[in-house]
Amino acid sequence: MNKTVTINISGIIFHIEEDAYDKLSKYLNTIKGYFSKADGGSEIMSDIEARIAEMLQSKTSAIKQVVLMSDVDFVMDNMGKPEEFAGDEQAHSQNSSNSDYSEYINNEPVKRRLYRDGDSKVLGGVCSGIGHYFGFDPVWLRIALALLLVFAGTGVLIYIILWIAIPEAKTMTEKLAMKGEKADINNISKAVKEEAEQLKKRMEKYGKEFSNMTSNSEAPRNAAEKIIDFFGDVLGNVGRVLLKIVGVLLVVFGIIFFLGLTSSVFGLSFMMDSSNGSEWIDMLLLDGKDFYIGIIGIAIFAGTPIIMMIYGGIKILFKINYRNRWVNLSAGIIWLVGFLMLLYVGIKTGSDFNKTAKVRENITVTNYDTLYLKMHETPVNSQELNFSDNEEEGEKGFKTNRRDNNYMIGTSNSMKYLLGHAQLNIIKSQTDKVELVIVKEAKGGDKRSATERAKNISYNVSQIDSLIQFDNLFKVNNADKFRVQDVTVILKVPVGKVVYLDKSIESLMYDIENVTNTYDGDMVNRRWIMTANGLKCLDCDGITDNSDKNNSDEDDTEKDVKITVNGVDVDNKDVQVKLDTNGIHIHTKKK
Amino acid sequence: MVNSENTKAQMRKGVLELCILSILSQGDAYPTEIIEKLKETKLVVVEGTLYPLLTRLKNTGLLNYRWEESNSGPPRKYYMLTEIGETYLKELHLSWYELVDAVNKTITKK
Repeated sequence: MNKTVTINISGIIFHIEEDAYDKLSKYLNTIKGYFSKADGGSEIMSDIEARIAEMLQSKTSAIKQVVLMSDVDFVMDNMGKPEEFAGDEQAHSQNSSNSDYSEYINNEPVKRRLYRDGDSKVLGGVCSGIGHYFGFDPVWLRIALALLLVFAGTGVLIYIILWIAIPEAKTMTEKLAMKGEKADINNISKAVKEEAEQLKKRMEKYGKEFSNMTSNSEAPRNAAEKIIDFFGDVLGNVGRVLLKIVGVLLVVFGIIFFLGLTSSVFGLSFMMDSSNGSEWIDMLLLDGKDFYIGIIGIAIFAGTPIIMMIYGGIKILFKINYRNRWVNLSAGIIWLVGFLMLLYVGIKTGSDFNKTAKVRENITVTNYDTLYLKMHETPVNSQELNFSDNEEEGEKGFKTNRRDNNYMIGTSNSMKYLLGHAQLNIIKSQTDKVELVIVKEAKGGDKRSATERAKNISYNVSQIDSLIQFDNLFKVNNADKFRVQDVTVILKVPVGKVVYLDKSIESLMYDIENVTNTYDGDMVNRRWIMTANGLKCLDCDGITDNSDKNNSDEDDTEKDVKITVNGVDVDNKDVQVKLDTNGIHIHTKKK
Repeated sequence: MVNSENTKAQMRKGVLELCILSILSQGDAYPTEIIEKLKETKLVVVEGTLYPLLTRLKNTGLLNYRWEESNSGPPRKYYMLTEIGETYLKELHLSWYELVDAVNKTITKK
């Protein structure tokens, strides 16, 4: 008497002797081990199981119901040892480079695949390949590409990326797959349906097997494996969809970034006269060579990752599995070159900001009891300024304020200048004479070049009788570059003398101290007398003293707002706000 | 002594694909039928070789299959050539004859 086990192979139930069962299950597990890594492994497994079921069925009958050891041996002899047939196929799928099928083996039934068509190519066969894939005449694609070429040459790079990413159809299979069944929406939905059905089948199968397993309580480990297999399948499907989405995102964002980069780079290098960015880079960098090194460096440094993004996205989207190691390697090297270029320009430019130098120029001023301070009638270069976007509206050159502290670039006689706002300060003179000092400041690689640059800043102050006129802006030659140049004009006024600040001078004034803490804007169009304590207004009767006003403001606030343990109570002439246990009440009083 | 069995097995394996496609070009068949035909010609020694190959050919798109109920046993997977498969087979046929010609010429030359 022998014990038998009930098993289910391909949906057919067999009674099998225990030792025969052990042998058979070991055999099947070995085969499974060989195919588990190969794609389509589960399909191969179920085919083999179906065949085994068939063979075992031929060995059993109404009289001989039980599968014996000899029957299992028969099956194994016919089917062969797993290492005889499986190992080969596995090696085949792994050593994919010399196989015609290499690209397919790792994928589920793919109909049409993207290849470059070497047979009907103009350049690399990219367009004809894409044409095959989407089923239209590549001529349209070529025209579109040529049009893109006109627009900033974007087409060229996209073409090159595609050229690298898409393999050429070399073998017969690849050529067939290139023109294979079209992957249109119908097919995709069909494929999805098939996939879903397959999943359903598999789930049923797993369920069946699982219940079998548990009822037999034979191999709990096996059951656990099945469950893991099942979740692996589900996760695999979800993962594939996510991967597609990632691919789409990579390509879309890659192209957006790429367009942004090309337009800025091309803008920088080809529209030097109208683009602000390039002018600034030019102002910053020591010579023209650096300018181009910098631009190319930026393009490479930012462009390489973007291109690799598109490249990766395309490979994901079209399931291009073949790996091109030199692409990654050379991308890395190119990126490094770009980085070094930027580093070189950066260090070279940065070291030119090392030292700061200040140059003081004393301007002799004829003394008058009252000095009138005004801006020169013709502003420096104002009509030729290229205004950057943060410039305020209104009259050019005048409206911009010292407080904005921005530099501008102007042109005259096709020479470029850096223009900056000068700063005027009025302080008490230690002597009994009016003195005027212009402090010019600049940076450079060493003290000498910084001093040289500072000296080169042109800024004019002129005096006609009691009228002192100032330039609105200081001017730096392009050759001197932008090196944080700054000009401060210090007017030293002895005690007892009076200055009149014209409205036009407002943009020059920068927190000029006075005894009443009056703002620069309120100081203009008035006369100010220098006292021992500082400037004092002579005709400010009309306006309140700011220092007092500030205090009274604070007092008012204190009276208006009451904060107690009961809540907050605000009450002034315009509004009444009450915050207490009843909630918040806001009441406005209309006049 | 050099073992010629291994070389022979490799040669058989190389043309197995062509043979399977040829068998299917004569009509749809399920694996057992294919195996029987191959066994007649001693091309296949162990059956296991066939299944991975069929799956691979199917995944490539050269083959397709349909299920058919069997009155004795599990449902059968009937394989058939696809259009691509037919074109591919024609191509293989051509290169097969070219190969046979070339090999014959080479090995008969003294």
